[in-house]
Amino acid sequence: MADLRCDAVAKHFHEHRVLTDIDLTVPHGTLTAVLGASGSGKTTLLRLIMGFAHADSGRILLGGDVVSDASGVHVKPEARAIGYVAQEGALFPHLSVGENVGFGLPRSERRSSHRITEVLQLVGMGASEHRHPHEISGGEQRRVALARALAPHPKMVLLDEPFSGLDAGLRVETREAVLAALTEEETTSLLVTHDQGEAMSLGREVAVLRHGCLAQTATPDVLYHAPVDVDVARFVGDAVVLPGNRTAGAVECVLGTLRVTGHGDDGAVLVMIRPEQIGMLRRGVGSDALVTGCTYFGPNTMVKLTLDHEEATYLLSARAFSHEAPRVGERVHLVVSGSVITYPAEV
Amino acid sequence: MVERRGGGRSAPAGLVALGIVVAAIIVLPVVITVVQAITGDWQEATDALTGSGVLGLVRNTALIAAAVVPICGILGVAAAWFVERTRLPGRRIWALLLVAPITIPLFVTSYAWATLSPSFQGFLGGVCITASSYYPIVYLLTSASLRGMDPALEESARSLGCGTWRVFHRVVLPQLRPALLGGLLLVALDTLVEYDAFVGIHYPVFANTMSSLYRVSFSSSGAALLSAASALPCVVLLVVEARVRGNADYTRVSHGSRRQAVRYELGRGRIPLMVAMVGLIGAGVGVPVWTLIEWSLQRSPQALSGAPAGIADLVPASITSVLLCAAAGLVAIALALPVAVIATRYRGWMATLLERSTYMSFALPDLVGAAALGYFALHVAPFLYENIALLVIAYAILFAPMALVGLRVTLGQIEPSLDEAARSLGLGGLRSFGRVTLPLARPGLAAAGVLVFAFALGDLSSAQVLLPPGVTTLGTQFWADSSTVAFAAAAPFAAVMLALSFVATYVLMSRFGKVRGVGGI
Repeated sequence: MADLRCDAVAKHFHEHRVLTDIDLTVPHGTLTAVLGASGSGKTTLLRLIMGFAHADSGRILLGGDVVSDASGVHVKPEARAIGYVAQEGALFPHLSVGENVGFGLPRSERRSSHRITEVLQLVGMGASEHRHPHEISGGEQRRVALARALAPHPKMVLLDEPFSGLDAGLRVETREAVLAALTEEETTSLLVTHDQGEAMSLGREVAVLRHGCLAQTATPDVLYHAPVDVDVARFVGDAVVLPGNRTAGAVECVLGTLRVTGHGDDGAVLVMIRPEQIGMLRRGVGSDALVTGCTYFGPNTMVKLTLDHEEATYLLSARAFSHEAPRVGERVHLVVSGSVITYPAEV
Repeated sequence: MVERRGGGRSAPAGLVALGIVVAAIIVLPVVITVVQAITGDWQEATDALTGSGVLGLVRNTALIAAAVVPICGILGVAAAWFVERTRLPGRRIWALLLVAPITIPLFVTSYAWATLSPSFQGFLGGVCITASSYYPIVYLLTSASLRGMDPALEESARSLGCGTWRVFHRVVLPQLRPALLGGLLLVALDTLVEYDAFVGIHYPVFANTMSSLYRVSFSSSGAALLSAASALPCVVLLVVEARVRGNADYTRVSHGSRRQAVRYELGRGRIPLMVAMVGLIGAGVGVPVWTLIEWSLQRSPQALSGAPAGIADLVPASITSVLLCAAAGLVAIALALPVAVIATRYRGWMATLLERSTYMSFALPDLVGAAALGYFALHVAPFLYENIALLVIAYAILFAPMALVGLRVTLGQIEPSLDEAARSLGLGGLRSFGRVTLPLARPGLAAAGVLVFAFALGDLSSAQVLLPPGVTTLGTQFWADSSTVAFAAAAPFAAVMLALSFVATYVLMSRFGKVRGVGGI
C-alpha cells in the first residue's frame, strides 16, 4: 500500500473548468472521502487518478512515484495498480463471482487460488464463489467488486459511490463489511460520495469538493464543528446561521451571549450553530420561541421555531431527542450548549 | 411456454398467434419446395442428384462459406472496435463508408470484380465479393453492441492490470459474443444460398446451378429435392447457433449513468490502420464505383449499341424499383415486428422457435423461394399470379431476417420498465406498445426498413421469376445489358442503384440501434 498525492491538479473540458488546483494527500493505509454534490467534479478526479483522463496541469504521485504530470508522464491505467470499485460494481456478467475476483490475478492463480477465497471471506462472501453476478443482490455485488479490486494487492483502491442505490439496511451492512475489509488489508483508499453521513462515518479525512475546488480537507469532527465557511457548514449538516456581534472570545446574538471557538475578527459576524446545540426548556431562562413544526426522524426530531426579537422574526431549527421534543404550538426557552463558530458578516 | 425475460408474465396469446402466422408465412416457400420434392417424379430427381455434379457444387459452396464467415467476423469486429474504441480521426465518415457495401447490389459488385481482372474469376473473386459485401452485417451488430457496453467493465479490467489486447480478449469479446454470433449466422446463411454474388464470375455454386435448373421448369422435382436438401444446413446452423449462444443475454447487470467508453490513442499505428481501412473500403465501395466510372467511359460499339435496355428505360425502371423496394421494406417490418417483440421481451421454447423460424427465409436460394411462391400463387391464389404484389411479399419474406435484426437491436435498448409504467397508467398491452414502445423504436423501424429496401434493390433472381411481363426494374435492366456485355449502357442503371445505396447507408447509419430521445447508442 502506498500513499496518494495530488499537486495542483486541474482539468477542463473545452471552456468549462471541471477541476481547479486540487491538492490532496491520502496517507498510507487510510481512507479519505471526497464529498461533493453531483457535478462537482468527483468522478473526473477519480478518472484522473485512475489514468482514464489526462490532467491539464499538476502532478499525481502514487507511493512517491509520479504517475501523471503536465510534462507528459502518463502511466497507463493498467500499469498503475490502482483498484477500482465502480458505481454499480461493474462485475463481468460472463464470469462467476470467483472468476471475477480472480480476474486480475496471474493466470496460475486464477482458478481456485487461496487469494480468491481469502478476499471473498474478507468481504463476507466466502460461500458465493460459484454463483453468477445476476444471482446475487446489489449489496453483494458491491462487496464482490471490492474483493476483485483487492485481490491483486493494489497500491490503493478507489471507490466511486460504492453504496448508491442500496436500501438503508443493506447500505449500513455493506458499508461495515467494506470498511472492515479495507481496514484488515490496510488499504489506502479514496472514496467519492455525495452522502455526508457516509463520508464522515467512513473517512479518516473528508475533502469537500465544490465547483471543482477543494473547499476544505479535514477530519470529520473538524469539518462538522469548524467548517471554513457558511456554505460548507450547510453542506455537511444542518446549520442555524444568525447575525451577531463578536467581542473577545464571545458572541452576542438573539440566543444570548455564546462561547466562540476559532479565529475571527471582532465586530459584526454570522454565528453558526448546529441544531442539536440548541436546547428547548419548558420553563426557565433563555430566549422565548414558538414551535411551528416538527419533523420526526425516529430517535430525534427536528423542531422548527420562530423567535421575535426587537421587531424582527427569526426562523430557527433545533434537534431534540424524540421523547423530549415539544409539540407544535408550545412556547419554549432556548439555551445553547457548547461553543459556536463565527464568519465575517456578508457585506 | 413464452415467458417474459427475467420472469413474470407470459406473452399475450394474440402476440403469440401473430408470431405463429408470421412464421407460417415465412416458412411457406420451404414447405412448398419440400412438398414439390416429395410428390415429384423420383426418377427425374435421382437423375438430377447424380447428373449435375451436386457434390462439387456443395463443396464449392461450403468452401466459400468456410472462407467468408471467419473473414467477415475478423473484419467486422476489428473495424467496429477501431471505430468505437480508438481515437481514429473522422470516425463518422469511416463508419458510413464501412457500412456502405451492405447496401450495394451484389450483382453490381460481382460484375465489377469480374471486369476488374480475370484473376477474380472463380474462388478468389467469390470470396472477395461475398466477404467485402457481408462484413458490414457483423460490423453493424458488433458496433451497436460496443456502444451499448457498460464502460465500467473495461475500466475495471484495466484497473486490474489488463492491457489493450487482454481487455479486448477477456472482457470485450465475451460481451460481443451474442452480437458476433448473430452476425456470423446471417453471413453464413446468406452465403450458403447466395446467387447474385456469383452472376459475374464463373464459379459454380449450389444456388446458381439450382437457379438455372429452375429457370428451365417452374416445378422441377429434381431441383426441388436438391433445394429442399439445401434447407438442412440452414436448420443445422440455426440450432447450433442457438445452442452455442445459449441463454447468454449479456445486457448490462448495472444501470449506472451511461458515459462514453475510454478511447485508446493510436499513436503511430494510425497510419497503417488507416491504410488497411482504405483497402477494405476500396474492396467494398471502391471497386464497384471505379468499375462503374470505367464502364461509363467505354465508347466501343459493343458496349453501347444493341443493348437491350437503353437510357429511355431509366426513369420508369427507377420509379418501379423505388416503389417496389419501399413497399417491401414496409411489409417486412410488419412481418418482423411481432417476432422482434417476442424475441426481445419473452423467452421460452416458443419464443425461440418463432425467432429461429424467421431465418428460414435463408434456407433456399432466393430464386427457388420466389419460384415456390409463384407456384403457390398459380395454384392457390391466382389473383396474385403475375401481380407485382407477389414480388413485394416475396421480398418481405426473403429479407425479413434483416428487418428482424434492425428491430431487435433497437427494441433491446428499450427498458421493459417503460412499458410497465404505461401499463400502470392504465394502458392495455397493445396501446402501451403503440404509445410507448413503437414511438421510441421509430429509428430502429427506419433502419430495418432501409436494410430491406437495400437488399430488395440488390435482388435479381426473385425479380426474374416474379416480375410481371413488361415491368422492369433497375436490377433487371442492368442485368439485361451487362449479360450482353453492353457495360456502358448498363452503367446508368448501376449509377442510380449506387446513389440509392448511399442514401440508404446514410439513413441506416443514423438510425440503426437507436432509440428516440436517447443520446444514442
